[in-house]
Amino acid sequence: MATGTTAGYVEVQGLVKWFGADRAVDDVSFSVPKGNFVTLLGPSGCGKTTTLMSIAGLHSIDAGQIRVGGTVYTAPKNGIFIPPEKRDIGMVFQSYAIWPHMTVAQNVAYPLEIRGVPQPEIDSRVADVLRLVGLAEMAQKLATQLSGGQQQRAALARAIVSRPRLLLFDEPLSNLDLKLREQMRVELKRIQNEVGITSIYVTHDQAEALVMSDEIIVMSKGRIQQRGTPHEIYARPVNAYVSNFIGVANLLKGRVVAVGEGGRGRIEVAQGGEPVQFPCRIADGVRVDDEAVLSVRPENVQARRENGDGRCLEGEVLQAIFLGNCVDCRVRWGDFEWKILTHPRVRLNRGDKVYLHLDPDHTLAVQP
Amino acid sequence: MSTQTLTENALQAPAASRWRSLITQETVATAVVSLIVAAAVVLPLLVLVISSFRVLDPGGFDTTWGLDNYRTLYTDRVIPKAFVNTLIVCAGSTVIATFFGVALAWINARTNCPGRQRMEPFNLVPFFLSPFVGAIAWHNLAGGKVGLINSWGRDFLGMQGNLINVDNLYGVIWVTGLFFAPLVYLFVVGSLRRMDPSLEDSARTTGAGLVRTAMTVTLPLVAPGILSGAIIVFVTTAGEFGVPFKLSAPYGWQTLTTQIFSKAVGDDANIYLGSAMSMALGVITVLLIWIQQSYIAPRSFTTVTGKGFRPNVIDLGRWKWAAFAFNSGFILVAVVLPILCLIVVSLHPVWQSRIILHDLTLHNYVRTLFFWAPDHIAAATNGIYNSFILAFAGATIAMALSLVVSYMIHRTKGFGARLLDFLCVVPVGFPGIVIAMGVLVTYIRTPIYATLWILLLGYITRFFPYGQRNVSSVMLAISEELDQSSRMAGASWFTTLRRITIPLLKPGIFAGWVLLFIIFLRELSISIILYSSGTETLSVGVYYLTNYENDTLTAALSVTQTAILLACVYIFRRIAGREALTV
Repeated sequence: MATGTTAGYVEVQGLVKWFGADRAVDDVSFSVPKGNFVTLLGPSGCGKTTTLMSIAGLHSIDAGQIRVGGTVYTAPKNGIFIPPEKRDIGMVFQSYAIWPHMTVAQNVAYPLEIRGVPQPEIDSRVADVLRLVGLAEMAQKLATQLSGGQQQRAALARAIVSRPRLLLFDEPLSNLDLKLREQMRVELKRIQNEVGITSIYVTHDQAEALVMSDEIIVMSKGRIQQRGTPHEIYARPVNAYVSNFIGVANLLKGRVVAVGEGGRGRIEVAQGGEPVQFPCRIADGVRVDDEAVLSVRPENVQARRENGDGRCLEGEVLQAIFLGNCVDCRVRWGDFEWKILTHPRVRLNRGDKVYLHLDPDHTLAVQP
Repeated sequence: MSTQTLTENALQAPAASRWRSLITQETVATAVVSLIVAAAVVLPLLVLVISSFRVLDPGGFDTTWGLDNYRTLYTDRVIPKAFVNTLIVCAGSTVIATFFGVALAWINARTNCPGRQRMEPFNLVPFFLSPFVGAIAWHNLAGGKVGLINSWGRDFLGMQGNLINVDNLYGVIWVTGLFFAPLVYLFVVGSLRRMDPSLEDSARTTGAGLVRTAMTVTLPLVAPGILSGAIIVFVTTAGEFGVPFKLSAPYGWQTLTTQIFSKAVGDDANIYLGSAMSMALGVITVLLIWIQQSYIAPRSFTTVTGKGFRPNVIDLGRWKWAAFAFNSGFILVAVVLPILCLIVVSLHPVWQSRIILHDLTLHNYVRTLFFWAPDHIAAATNGIYNSFILAFAGATIAMALSLVVSYMIHRTKGFGARLLDFLCVVPVGFPGIVIAMGVLVTYIRTPIYATLWILLLGYITRFFPYGQRNVSSVMLAISEELDQSSRMAGASWFTTLRRITIPLLKPGIFAGWVLLFIIFLRELSISIILYSSGTETLSVGVYYLTNYENDTLTAALSVTQTAILLACVYIFRRIAGREALTV
């Protein structure tokens, strides 16, 4: 195991958590290398927050093991449960959880006071970290006098001030408005880079995950669907769920008819009326004769005026919305409606006849 | 190094750690508190049930098992009538309290009645005073022979007999109705104030008139509050001891509470029969409270929205003076007249139903307040002292208990939390006198009997749910993440409680403490069962004076108690703002 793919800094193995009769987390295993920023991504109820809470020690778990930096934190089989306060983990909560009865400085100093750090050092470290998050001027303000974005920064400062072994984020940006959220994404990432603490981030916002993560773990119904770099997840989703959850995709049901060299093959789709075969890439785990889903991103569909090579799909423009840098089109092909993004120079109007061309390199047959 | 060996080294934890991991500050504290709560609530009720099946033999020494106590409930000469009287009083006072409560709430929350901001605090005053004292005041004001109004009627109007007479069941209904009107008021005024005005506005835009909107939108939205308030009044009246004891019992109208009292401590004391009567009373109240808690309270729609709405105010036109007269009339009969009358009576050496200016004296206050005075009355002076000790200790212990209990209910999920939640509602279902009977039969043979401890136990058992509700409502409003982030910052459970949870809950804890302090200062129906010579409380002192001394001494101690209660309410409202002390 010299490659270290499984021996990460954070190790979650076979995590199971029941809520009543529901398996909130169902056999989840993953590892996070030291210094990495990993995002657990999924819709609400997918088990991502439960996983995070289990790592934090705010939940017990029913089976599995959680290990950080060689220390076992939770292992119900062996009766090990380290209480949250002994785990040395910093956490940023969805509601920020800035204590309203304390000033910003008092909030940030709290973890250091608990650890018995001498007062002069507390003062200088609090000042440093407040400068890092850009709240140096707000130190003596009460938490209730801060805006949402400022509370967010204060919560981050409090989480990193004790230089914990691990940083956990529970949807920290979901309460901010769109503009602030976009700004804070970049900011959060910058600060995490600067302090270099291994981080696990939970969100349902795929854009957030793509921007911030070294690695994304997509979850659904308590299970991991796929893990990989943002680029891998976006370009090579393993199944229809992931491909639909990350970005937008045209999904057509079909059957794999051929699998060849280098992960290439052909899929037959019956959705447009006559069965049509598409050359495509074949995702891992998909074999000949399998039911599969053809997944194509809107930006990878070309709309042409002529049927150049005779292999294009003939369709009719239902709708064309000009978005400035691109045009969002809906094209009817048989009983299927394609979502495509075209360059504004290709002028399409409602009712136009168009020919859709799919690039086999960006056309993917995935598990349903 | 491979993962495998690392993992295995780490997993060499001894089996003992599995148990050690269960013993944390949190689990120990919560387990201890649950046991205390369970013992405090379940034990007296259990023993009460058991004793109700024990039959005292005619000699009065031995007991056997049997149903005779329950048979007595309907064969006795007095008890069935007392039962009927109780129902009459409850129904009557519920009607009166609901009428006043709803009308006053509407006037204060929704109309342009002049001076309503000034009158509002006075509408609540009866809630903080002792109904027993109210009954004494009304007896002096409009009692059959001694009533000031009646003697004026005879002197100035030349009337024969009485103008009005409160020494009967109607008097009980009148006084309890007046004093419990604030209960309905509090239930209704909140939902009227916090109701989203757009609910009514949208009805108006569909073409519904003022009255129609009131009947189809406002009333249904407030109805659960009215119904809850009415049920609480019914139940509280059923458990009220002081008013029927003063106004109806001496004239031949017994109620269940006065009968339980005479069975518990009277000359023909039979605590086993008293237990059976308590069971009968408890079954009624528990049933009603259960209906209120499970069917009506969940339907109050508007009480939870935290938004500050500006409710629609209705311009009453010329009728606003009628509203003003109505509201000041209520304050007159519920607060001003009774207190004035008591003050007047207390200044006379003997009450002869008329004001004799040259007789006025403060000697009654000397005898009831100054324990160093040679002719002081021990029951009164002890009562003041004991009540302050009980109120202070009781409120403090009950709030400490409430804090941990609320924490468990809202922060630790699972079976224990739900059980505890249930246990906290149970005492609310029983009148104080029933809980007191349970405590009495449970601890009568233990050393705490005849000490202040048994009173303390009774007080806390019956009333800590009120404090717990105050803490819980604040705890529900503050995010659990505030606690969790402290744990993540490295603080233990106890440190988190001390530095984060308690400071955040301070308003709720303070409000609950104050409410309990005031309730304990005027408590009568538990004290009357559990006191003994030397452990009298303020209200027991008043009882003692009215029973064994004269009207003027009684009035003096009543005025004292009222003054103490009003001063407490005033001080606490100054400290905590007007939001405090509204249950």
